[in-house]
Amino acid sequence: MTPGQLLLFTVGGLANAAYLFIVAAGLSLVFGALRVINMAHGSLYMIAAFVTVVIANQVGAGLGFWAGLLVAVAATGAIGGIIEVLVLRRVYGREHLIQLLGTYAVSLVIAGGVRIAFGANYRTVASPIPGHIDVGGYSYASYSLFMIAAAIVIAVGVWAMLYRTNLGRNIRAAVADPDLLNATGVNVTRLYTTVFVIGAGLAGLGGAIVAPSQAIGSSIDTDVLVLAFAISVIGGLGSIVGSGVGALIVGMVVSFGLVIPATSPFALAFVFIIMTAVLIVRPRGLFGLPEN
Amino acid sequence: MRLVRRFRGHRLRWGVVVALLLFVALIPPLAGLNESLNPDASSRFQIFLGTSALVLALWAVSYNLMLGYTGMVSFAHAAYYGVGAYTVALIFKRYHLPILVGLAAAPFAAAAVGLITGLVAQRAVRLYFSLLTLAISQLLFSIVFSWYDFTGGDNGISITLPDQLNDYTTLYYFTAAVVGVCLLLMFILVRSPFGAALLSIRENRQRAASIGINVKAYELAVYTIAAVFAGVAGGLFVMYQQQAYPEMLYWTANAQPVVVSLLGGTTTFLGPAIGAFIYVVLDNSIAKQFPYQFDIILGAIVLGVVLAVPGGISDVPSVFLRLRERFRRGDVDAEAQPAESTGEAIRMFDVSKALATGAIQAEEVRSGQTLLRIEHLSRSFGGLRAVEDVSLEVKQGDRHAIIGPNGAGKSTLFNLITGQLKPNTGKVIFDGRDITGKAPHVIARTGIGRAFQITTIFPKLTVRKNLQYAMLAHRGYTVRPFGIADRMFSAEAQDLAEAVGLGAWADLPAGQLSHGDQRAIEIAISLALGSKLVLLDEPTAGMSAYETDKAMELVRQLATERHLTLLFCEHDMAVVFSTARTVTVMHQGRVLTAGTPEQIRRNPDVQKVYLGELEQEELGA
Repeated sequence: MTPGQLLLFTVGGLANAAYLFIVAAGLSLVFGALRVINMAHGSLYMIAAFVTVVIANQVGAGLGFWAGLLVAVAATGAIGGIIEVLVLRRVYGREHLIQLLGTYAVSLVIAGGVRIAFGANYRTVASPIPGHIDVGGYSYASYSLFMIAAAIVIAVGVWAMLYRTNLGRNIRAAVADPDLLNATGVNVTRLYTTVFVIGAGLAGLGGAIVAPSQAIGSSIDTDVLVLAFAISVIGGLGSIVGSGVGALIVGMVVSFGLVIPATSPFALAFVFIIMTAVLIVRPRGLFGLPEN
Repeated sequence: MRLVRRFRGHRLRWGVVVALLLFVALIPPLAGLNESLNPDASSRFQIFLGTSALVLALWAVSYNLMLGYTGMVSFAHAAYYGVGAYTVALIFKRYHLPILVGLAAAPFAAAAVGLITGLVAQRAVRLYFSLLTLAISQLLFSIVFSWYDFTGGDNGISITLPDQLNDYTTLYYFTAAVVGVCLLLMFILVRSPFGAALLSIRENRQRAASIGINVKAYELAVYTIAAVFAGVAGGLFVMYQQQAYPEMLYWTANAQPVVVSLLGGTTTFLGPAIGAFIYVVLDNSIAKQFPYQFDIILGAIVLGVVLAVPGGISDVPSVFLRLRERFRRGDVDAEAQPAESTGEAIRMFDVSKALATGAIQAEEVRSGQTLLRIEHLSRSFGGLRAVEDVSLEVKQGDRHAIIGPNGAGKSTLFNLITGQLKPNTGKVIFDGRDITGKAPHVIARTGIGRAFQITTIFPKLTVRKNLQYAMLAHRGYTVRPFGIADRMFSAEAQDLAEAVGLGAWADLPAGQLSHGDQRAIEIAISLALGSKLVLLDEPTAGMSAYETDKAMELVRQLATERHLTLLFCEHDMAVVFSTARTVTVMHQGRVLTAGTPEQIRRNPDVQKVYLGELEQEELGA
């Protein structure tokens, strides 16, 4: 492999890791604080992707995309709030099965709604940041570089939120001991809603950002969800740092798995081999806390 | 009254079975009749739908074997369904063998894949188990999807059935027969002592292990058995669909049996089968016209079941009953209260009855011999030395109390003896056998029964089944996949329930009883095991003074008459000194001293470190 190819596949892997990190961070944040695996996480991502595409195509590329992104994130945050109040509040602390099924039911409803609203056809949108940069004989889409930069900004933002704000301190306290936090006068019910809205917003942000780089169809919800699971498990459910590392691993494996022709059909299989190995050797993942 | 109701329930159940059989048998003639009356209807299509409902029923019931009976949530079940399907398709198309050879091979292929992947999945528990099955399932999907040369990749494999089976009605009856046999086998299994072990695991893993059930082995067994029947279902699917495709293995495919099980109810054996027929009807009436709306309706149904009717359709009558009861009483919280028990059980402890029951057996006493010997046992958690260099002996027939202030290491010591924790160093010798670091179920089977400090029972099972299953497990009957578990040890369990004053509530779910009554069940389970040594960790925790007296009187008398050896820890000094013959005092993880109650009472060290702070006046010292 030439250095040029190495760079090409690395950037490709980083771009994969970028949007996957944003989605997985939301899933992981919600699990960490609420102890709920949100099966509807991919559905929120799908809603945002469709909303962004539709608005961008209506208003026109460029400005339209940014407007779409804002509307999409606001909409998924709001939908997340509704889901938390109507469904999740009734399943906290119950068996994992009930939580999985409750949020799965929500994902079914959203999947049906999305197909009614947007149809079953694939949709695309022009990149809001057109053009490419040529390095060493290969060209890199500017938008891929934007995605990588955006993921870094979001990673720093989520970290600052968790470690530099009152809200973040409360979230971390809720992860450790919600009852004690409640006893200190913090409204844990409202905190949970806030966390879920943020998690849903991150799913939305991921969906909006990915829209110009992929064809958007009505099955992207389950495809992204299973990868977000893999990332969260590898990095450790509940850990933002883990989501970052997990996303890098998955993004790179998918990108470099395609290099060798013999293994290229099995690139995704490698992701699940790693996921299996992590769960066997260290079930809580690379950076996760042990489950009480 | 209760008897009448139970009899009616019995008849109703058989009524459902007969109705279902008739319905299944009559689908082809009814479809034919329908076609002759209404030329637009295609009988072929309706029989085809009937076949698909049968296969779905088998698949869903096999899923529910894990979900409803053991409480395992697997994302890999569709993969075994797919393995069965590909086995049939490949053997028929690639190796040109008769289709029935493929169908016979399907369960073996699914079993092999299920067993190997199940062993891997078992490395994690609960949620992490589910996520591991997800990874395994996606791995299998990726292989099938990408291995073009062998599996045909995303095209899948299409087959054309031989003529003798290519008739819709014949295929329908053939499918019905195979599904019927499989359901019957699974029904025998869930009613057997093996099934009882599965229910115990679903209800309470820790209690299941401490009555002698090897939880992991049973889970692996049921996981593999479920895979076997999923393989058969997948094979049958290929026969009527005439194709196998990779999406059958995709992780989202597991939603179908889960939704179907929920629709019909996960708590009954045939619930998922009934759910399958409901699903197929819904799918072909609503989904054909409104495909997208169908997802929403399905989501709403699942949500409704999850949030309001946990038992599924078969539980709907009970929801109405509850609503009616609420309405009549005008009492909104009626459901939240423990139903009928009032904590009376202990008052009704019947010692003579307990002595008469055959359930509690112990070998002839060899008084004076050492039954349990602990040698230099240590265990630390990080820097904390919870138990340090503890040695003690428990003589056969003794009633040995361990006392000490909070944090003295009593519960840790118990957990080291019964295998919940493994010691860092030291030995535990029971009845001449080294049981150091053995698994809880192995230790339970050597003859150590245990009552936990935190009540550890099977809350949704009746009081009688709590005791029956303990008796079954401890005697090693739960390996039997045949026979009817609920008829075994029924009389003995009833005797024991009466002995601890719970006779009148023997048919109530244990979790509905009051705290004191649940403590009585806890003690009864530890006695039901017929163990030589009974470990009681604060047996009377949370009981009133009166209840405590009665409970300890029962324990004392049983121990004497039945030659049980007792090892217990207790904070109530009155209980200790009225019951124990030997007392060991622990302090900060170490044994401070041991002796008769009289010696302990007079020991100045004991008074200083423990009794001095707390209970001196009680001792009259």
